[in-house]
Amino acid sequence: MTESHDNITRHTLLWLLITNIAVIMPLADKSSVATLGICGICFVWRIGIYFGRVARPPRWLVTTLAIAAAATLALVSRELGMLNALINLLILGYALKYIEMRERRDILAIVLAGFFLIALAFIDKQGIGDTLLSLLVIAINTATLLSVYRGQQNLILQARHAGVLLLQSLPLALALFIVLPRLSPLWLVPQSKGATTGLSDEVSFGDITQLTRSQELAFRVTFDGQPPATATLYWRALVLTDYDGHRWRQSEPTRSINWFRPYNIDERQDPPSENQLNYSVIAERSGQHWLFGLDRAQSQTKGVKQLNDYRLVSVKPIEQKFQYQVTSAIGAPLNRVPSRVELDQDLSVPAKLNPQTIALGKQYAAQYQNPRQRLAAMMQLFNQQPYYYTLTPPALGQNQLDEFLFTTRQGFCVHYASAFTILARASGLPARMVTGYQGGIYNADAGYMSVYQYMAHAWSEVWLPDSGWVRYDPTAMIAPERIEQGFDSMFAAEDSYLADATFSGIRNSSWFNAIRLQLANLDYYWTVWVLGFNEQRQQQLLSKLLGEATPLRIALFLGSVITLVMLIIAWHTGILRLPTRRSPIDSGFTKVANAAAKMGVERSISTGPNAFSEQLKQHWPALVTDIEQWRSCYSQLKYQQKNSSQISQLKKKFIFLSKSLSKKIRKSH
Amino acid sequence: MSRIMQRWFSSWLKRRIPAATQQTLSHHSIFILPSGFGLLWIVLTVLLFLFGTNYQNNLVIGMSLLLASVFISTILHSYRNLAGLTLLSAGSTHTYAGQQLSIPVKLYATKPLYQLQLSFPHNDELRVIEVGQQPQTRVLSFATHQRGPLDPGRMRIESRYPLGLCRVWSWLDLNTQHMVFPAHHNGRLPFSSLDGDSGETGAALKGVDEYAGLRSYIPGESLKQVAWKQWAQERGMLSKEFTTPEGEPVWLCLPSQLDNMALEHWLSVLSFQIDELAKTPNQYWGLQLGQQRIAPSNGQEHRLICLTALALFQLGTGDD
Repeated sequence: MTESHDNITRHTLLWLLITNIAVIMPLADKSSVATLGICGICFVWRIGIYFGRVARPPRWLVTTLAIAAAATLALVSRELGMLNALINLLILGYALKYIEMRERRDILAIVLAGFFLIALAFIDKQGIGDTLLSLLVIAINTATLLSVYRGQQNLILQARHAGVLLLQSLPLALALFIVLPRLSPLWLVPQSKGATTGLSDEVSFGDITQLTRSQELAFRVTFDGQPPATATLYWRALVLTDYDGHRWRQSEPTRSINWFRPYNIDERQDPPSENQLNYSVIAERSGQHWLFGLDRAQSQTKGVKQLNDYRLVSVKPIEQKFQYQVTSAIGAPLNRVPSRVELDQDLSVPAKLNPQTIALGKQYAAQYQNPRQRLAAMMQLFNQQPYYYTLTPPALGQNQLDEFLFTTRQGFCVHYASAFTILARASGLPARMVTGYQGGIYNADAGYMSVYQYMAHAWSEVWLPDSGWVRYDPTAMIAPERIEQGFDSMFAAEDSYLADATFSGIRNSSWFNAIRLQLANLDYYWTVWVLGFNEQRQQQLLSKLLGEATPLRIALFLGSVITLVMLIIAWHTGILRLPTRRSPIDSGFTKVANAAAKMGVERSISTGPNAFSEQLKQHWPALVTDIEQWRSCYSQLKYQQKNSSQISQLKKKFIFLSKSLSKKIRKSH
Repeated sequence: MSRIMQRWFSSWLKRRIPAATQQTLSHHSIFILPSGFGLLWIVLTVLLFLFGTNYQNNLVIGMSLLLASVFISTILHSYRNLAGLTLLSAGSTHTYAGQQLSIPVKLYATKPLYQLQLSFPHNDELRVIEVGQQPQTRVLSFATHQRGPLDPGRMRIESRYPLGLCRVWSWLDLNTQHMVFPAHHNGRLPFSSLDGDSGETGAALKGVDEYAGLRSYIPGESLKQVAWKQWAQERGMLSKEFTTPEGEPVWLCLPSQLDNMALEHWLSVLSFQIDELAKTPNQYWGLQLGQQRIAPSNGQEHRLICLTALALFQLGTGDD
């Protein structure tokens, strides 16, 4: 290639400025501050070049930036994790190439790298909005490339041109997307070490409030058949057994689990139950391993395991939306007998803390021999005593539970579940805290249920030897009049999650809700049919489209899409011209001219109709009257104003005359 | 091996796209293949597909498929950017050996085409930014090395529009003939009379016969030419100028019995002298090359006839 700098037009330079921002912005949250700084310097320098303030970057600047980039990477790679370090490396390379660019092929390299960076943004940004934004960035990047080959065109036309090119390519991409086989991962790839969202495996009294104010989606559920009543939906996610007086944690073996070979996974099949519930869950990105299930849940989905506390986990952290199938035995006992060690853990109470609570537990034990009666009495405590539900409870001191139970009496689910669990333990019953979500909003139109972060909840499970782990939700016992401030969806208080929302005012208007619902539906279909488009859905769609997904039919389908797209492009670019219907006048004239030509009388293009008929008369003196009739009819049609009925009559006449004349000409020898 | 391939290719081209002075490009004469950048683009799509597969990320897979289909649709766009292009030979030209021959080509197209590159092999590339319905004449350069008639052969018309993913090209022979005159060599061959006697020299060209006018005296000139009358009128020292009248031509004769080197040398000298003579107004000259004799005349046409004769003289393989 012999292209030199002068081939880079100003339009291209401007496009490069736009592209640079468009490509790097979606990745800003993955890049370190130093990376962004270096990108910024490069960008400012390019602006300088664009406005003619500075020349090419001096060597020392490029070198300094490169060294800074290397240093940045070396420093942050450990804390960022492998994948993010890789992304930072690419961004830095992109920025450095950008500042150094001088030839056409540098631009080509930048455009290709740009496409790769756009793809990287898809790792954790997969919403419809993100995708549309990325499509826009793809269009900008394409326009940059186009401007290299079409520098003189104005900017808007270039953008439109790139857009048209992409739109023309979309149908084929879609067909390929539907048809191409889905492969399973070919090799192990580094996962991003992104922030985790949703429930945490450590719960202290302050934690869940954060979630209860978040209106983010946690997961969606599609039930086979009718969904169960909302009040019965306790989505189990985590089982917390260790309590140190301040925070709840998972048991030691679960904390140190090796996710690639979880030892405490129980491969035993639970006995089938009469009350089976099948549903599929699409978990949103959480960066965590735990999944959600109802009661005794089992999953056949690859990569999903059941731990021996009956909860579902994913072998890989959920870094993008993840769909899995669950079969729950509703109401079936969680009666896998815990080991002695486990039971001991479920009975342990932090020593020297909360003496009053422990005393109260012992008192209950003395009062009620029957464990069920004892637990019922404890539950009644929260109903009868003036306990208040609030998301902003007063701060608690060293003996959290004592202060909560006997002094402040204000708290939310974690307070109540903690207090209840410890009370049960103090009374001699093995108990543990379970966190998860309670409830869900069912969208009857689209047939799915959404569970939001503000539905996060905590409750207790108590081991009763005759019936296994039994769920107790002390928060549900609080008298409705003592709910001070919104709450989890169980109480259907609309305000709870709005504390942080900016536009709570319009939230109540019906049109806003309607739009919100439509958007939620759209997002659901997007998740199921695009993000979750797997082998199974592919089969489903293909057999719906093609009747039966045989290779031949798939090939035919793909072939016809390609042909159709190509025809459209060919027509659009002007390669292909659709045959236009010629007017009967012209075709009649041509018919005669062709007949004459066959007999050796060529009509040259410059010969007008009158001259042509004179020419015909000379060659076929016998047909002079026919020719004259034909000619006058032609000129009447062509050159005289007539009303429509006259015209159609004349046309018929002309067609007839043309036919007979051409026949006569052919027959003359 | 490659030479055989090349010969086969050129003979195939001759059959497929025969030479003609006007040609319109169509599917018959257009070749299309991915460019180097296009191959990189394909590599990128494959990489993205693997990346999407490994992360089980449908959006990345979708993007790779989108880029792949962009590639496929640009094939048509690229093709369209040459289809319908008409090239016409815009006449023959000439130059001196060793210089660039500027070959004019007329271009137009039914639909606008962008960023075309035209070139003869091993010659500079001509970039045409846009070709429209209005015919435009552009000049292609062709480096010449030796005198004689020149058939530039096939030119390459190439485009990478719109995204540089595909290289679309064609090889056209516009069936033109150009003339390469011997290169100039600053020298002097004595003028001769028709008989071949060495007669007047270059200095004697300024004739004595016809009064042409006055000009300022140059020291060293014959005092006979000084216009004394004007000098007496104190108008300064002027000398009368005379020119050889028409009809008294000089003859340029190529020495006979020359070996190849000397022949080329003297042809170059003659080429130089003819151009010098052509610059002098009213100078008539004739040319004798071996048996060939070109009657004395003057003017551009005569000059070209003479130079063409020089170009064609005793060409080993030249066709007369």
